[in-house]
Amino acid sequence: MLTTLIRGKVAFVIKAISLALITAVLLMLTQSAFAQEQYAIALFLAIAIILLNYTYFSKKRVPLKFFLPGVLLLTAFVITPILYTVVMSTYNYRTGNYISKEQAIERIKALAVESDPDGTAFDIVVGRYRGEFALLASDINNSSYFISTVSDRIPLDPESLEIDEIGVAQSAPDFTPLPPGKISSSKAASLRFKFDGEYFLTIESLNVGVVLRQTLEYLQPTDQFRSLITGALYDDNGNGNYVNVDDPEEKLEPGWRDPAWFSNFARLVQDDRVRTPLFSVFVWTVVFASLTVITQFAFGLLLALALNKPIRGRRIYRSILVLPYAVPSIMSILIWGGMFNTEFGAINEILGQQIAWFQDPTFARVAVILVNLWLGFPYFYLVCSGSLQAIPGELLEAAAIDGANPRQVFRRITLPLLLQILSPLLIASFAFNFNNFNLIYLLTGGGPKQQLDGEIAGATDILISYTYQIAFGSNIQDLGLASAISVIIFFIVAAISLYGVKRSKVLESFS
Amino acid sequence: MFRFKTLAVALAAVLGAGIFTVPSSATTEIVVWADETRGPNIREALKAKTNWVQGYTVTVRAFANFDALKDAIDKATATTGPDIVVGANDWVPTLAKNGKLAPLTLTAAQRARFSPSQFYDLSYKRKLYGIPVDVNNVAMIYNTRLVTTAPKTFGEMVDYYKANKTSKSLKAGLCVAGGGMSWGAHSVASALGADAYFFNSNGTINTGRVFNPTTFGNNVKTYLLDGNKSNGFFPATDAGCKDNFLAGTVPFAVIGNWEWTDYTAKGFTMNLMPVPGVNATSPGKAFGSVSGAMLTSFAKTRGLEAAAKSLLVNFFGSTEGQVAYQKIEKRPPAEKGAANDASVAAGQKGFGAAAAAASVPQVGAVLNGPSGKSYWDSLPAYWTAVLVDGKDATVEARKLAAIYRANLALAKGDL
Repeated sequence: MLTTLIRGKVAFVIKAISLALITAVLLMLTQSAFAQEQYAIALFLAIAIILLNYTYFSKKRVPLKFFLPGVLLLTAFVITPILYTVVMSTYNYRTGNYISKEQAIERIKALAVESDPDGTAFDIVVGRYRGEFALLASDINNSSYFISTVSDRIPLDPESLEIDEIGVAQSAPDFTPLPPGKISSSKAASLRFKFDGEYFLTIESLNVGVVLRQTLEYLQPTDQFRSLITGALYDDNGNGNYVNVDDPEEKLEPGWRDPAWFSNFARLVQDDRVRTPLFSVFVWTVVFASLTVITQFAFGLLLALALNKPIRGRRIYRSILVLPYAVPSIMSILIWGGMFNTEFGAINEILGQQIAWFQDPTFARVAVILVNLWLGFPYFYLVCSGSLQAIPGELLEAAAIDGANPRQVFRRITLPLLLQILSPLLIASFAFNFNNFNLIYLLTGGGPKQQLDGEIAGATDILISYTYQIAFGSNIQDLGLASAISVIIFFIVAAISLYGVKRSKVLESFS
Repeated sequence: MFRFKTLAVALAAVLGAGIFTVPSSATTEIVVWADETRGPNIREALKAKTNWVQGYTVTVRAFANFDALKDAIDKATATTGPDIVVGANDWVPTLAKNGKLAPLTLTAAQRARFSPSQFYDLSYKRKLYGIPVDVNNVAMIYNTRLVTTAPKTFGEMVDYYKANKTSKSLKAGLCVAGGGMSWGAHSVASALGADAYFFNSNGTINTGRVFNPTTFGNNVKTYLLDGNKSNGFFPATDAGCKDNFLAGTVPFAVIGNWEWTDYTAKGFTMNLMPVPGVNATSPGKAFGSVSGAMLTSFAKTRGLEAAAKSLLVNFFGSTEGQVAYQKIEKRPPAEKGAANDASVAAGQKGFGAAAAAASVPQVGAVLNGPSGKSYWDSLPAYWTAVLVDGKDATVEARKLAAIYRANLALAKGDL
């Protein structure tokens, strides 16, 4: 009876409350995304709410109940970033070209003003004059006063005004001041009030007005800007900027994100400044990932073989060997970085040398491989130990009876079987190290780099750290190019992973 | 059962739409972003007066650190961004290029409160984007327990180091404790002849001139090297410099104005001075930059541009505001009235005086060159190449000069 009740109404109530809470949180996020004009995210969250409620309030869709959370999270955190990166790789997304074209036009218009030669400014009171927005302006140096509306400038007699102790007019006939808290958000804040000729008076701060003139006008029908001073025309250059028709080097800022299609990918091949470092970085990435896997596997296997025999204190040794794996890698990398310090590092102290580990390219690469060996060998020690247990003892016994020595047994039986079992893991490890950003960034920062010789990439930079440098490493960022390299990395790692998945079928045949 | 379902969905909708409703910010709330030290200090200083901007309130958001703040402003949008951001002056070119800053126009009286070079730091393409808040500079300090009188030339310091290196167990002669090997070490490079840029008589940057690499290379050879090896006087890294100076094993150090209390706490007097030049009349120029309170383009979107500009002028740009703020922040105030205020500490004034004696504005448009070739990357690379790798000081100086020249050419349109 009780079991039935729990399975029945109580279970439904728990489910309803859980779903209500999840839906509430998702609704909050949807609302927040919508408020921040992130419509794609808002749409995704809204669909997620509908799908969740539709699935979990139904008795029929049982398989979907298991898959749906995974599918939603995969879409949000894996598929969407990949798609976004692919899309960004086709844009000229870089410093100076961050915003949309509409925003860029607005910014250019806002920037296209200049003060009059004297930098004239007035103390102002913002208000309404006969119902119209107006500025009550005071020139305290000359004791002259006027009201300026959008269409008119009316001189005032000081006698008719209420003037404060520093000479600023506070009120005038037919003029009603706006409350200070209303000024900034009022329409008046963006109006241009009549001053003189091409110059207009505008609100600079709540009580100061400045005299400006417009220097550029936007010609919407032809999508051009025209200089009101020189007459120069600025065209959309198709690459995210308005440029002077007569001098393409002169461009208006800011620019905007514009589709560049495959030009970022073309730069990887055609632009010498990108291609040359990219090639050397690619070669080092492959070497680094290969050497890492080989050294970690070899050392892990060696230790596994050594401890596969019944020796005294084997459990203690095994525990000690797993310790590097238990320490957070970030901590280990930073400690190793200190130990390799030229002046104060423990390694140079022990060697009695002054080796510039992180200044010399070869030593820096050796240091990177050594540290990664330390970080990764326990993993291979563990998997090799497990795999050695899985090799049937009869095979080894039969070989021994046939007269094979231990070396022959290892070379002909143990190693091939181990490689058959572990090759998917070796491939996965290669793929992981291909993108081992943490190690490079924290240990060497990609360096050393011969900057004075114009080197952009450091000697230990791998593709992902080089990409990071392009995207975020300096004040001038090129996110489009970095996205293009990321897409290439994605395909390389995806190919390696697919190969690994295919190889993993050997596991099935083995079992 | 259908009623149950309807009830559950309705409950979710009520929870989501009602209880978790995101409050929208009021249009009279000016939002200021700053880092983890400036943020709380600005918040505190604002309490000195309730009506910095009549009719508006001010909310200060402090970020975990300077990098987090930079990252946030880089990613900010019209709906998430602040009205004012307090940050480094070299953010101006990038943020302005990306359309995140809005220009402001100051009256003559407001401009007169600051030194013109401070506006240089916060300008891009002849538009001003912020108000100078505090001076950021370095100056040289000497340990009076080791050196009794202020050195007049660079050579004097080197001679002192060579004569006392062993007897006083000196770890270096001069090192950079504050500002790093590019920003802080400019004063040393400049003392030896390698200024980042030079100015025309009208105050604009001379984009056609770089330092003389042969002179600089020869000076490096004379003062910093023995043959092709470092003579130990000037380390290529700032690691350990502060500790060594405080421990009395380095007689001269370039220190930052944000850390002067660490030195006074250990009994050092603020005998601040520029790094002496090769000649007594040509001291090294330190970057005398300013932190700025910058107006964002988001303020206009939020209908707060005029109010934010008023806060910039009334609080960040006023004597009263800067005195209130710098009493807590303890950096040299940028505003002239605040800099001369009696409440400003000797250390703050000392750095202000050092900046006035020999400083050069920090112009991001020139210094922030392309990846790997910016001033920030190049000068440390020079010190490493010459003082660690033993490369020829003049050959490397020529490469450095070539990079400076290329960056000046690139920046020409942005100045």
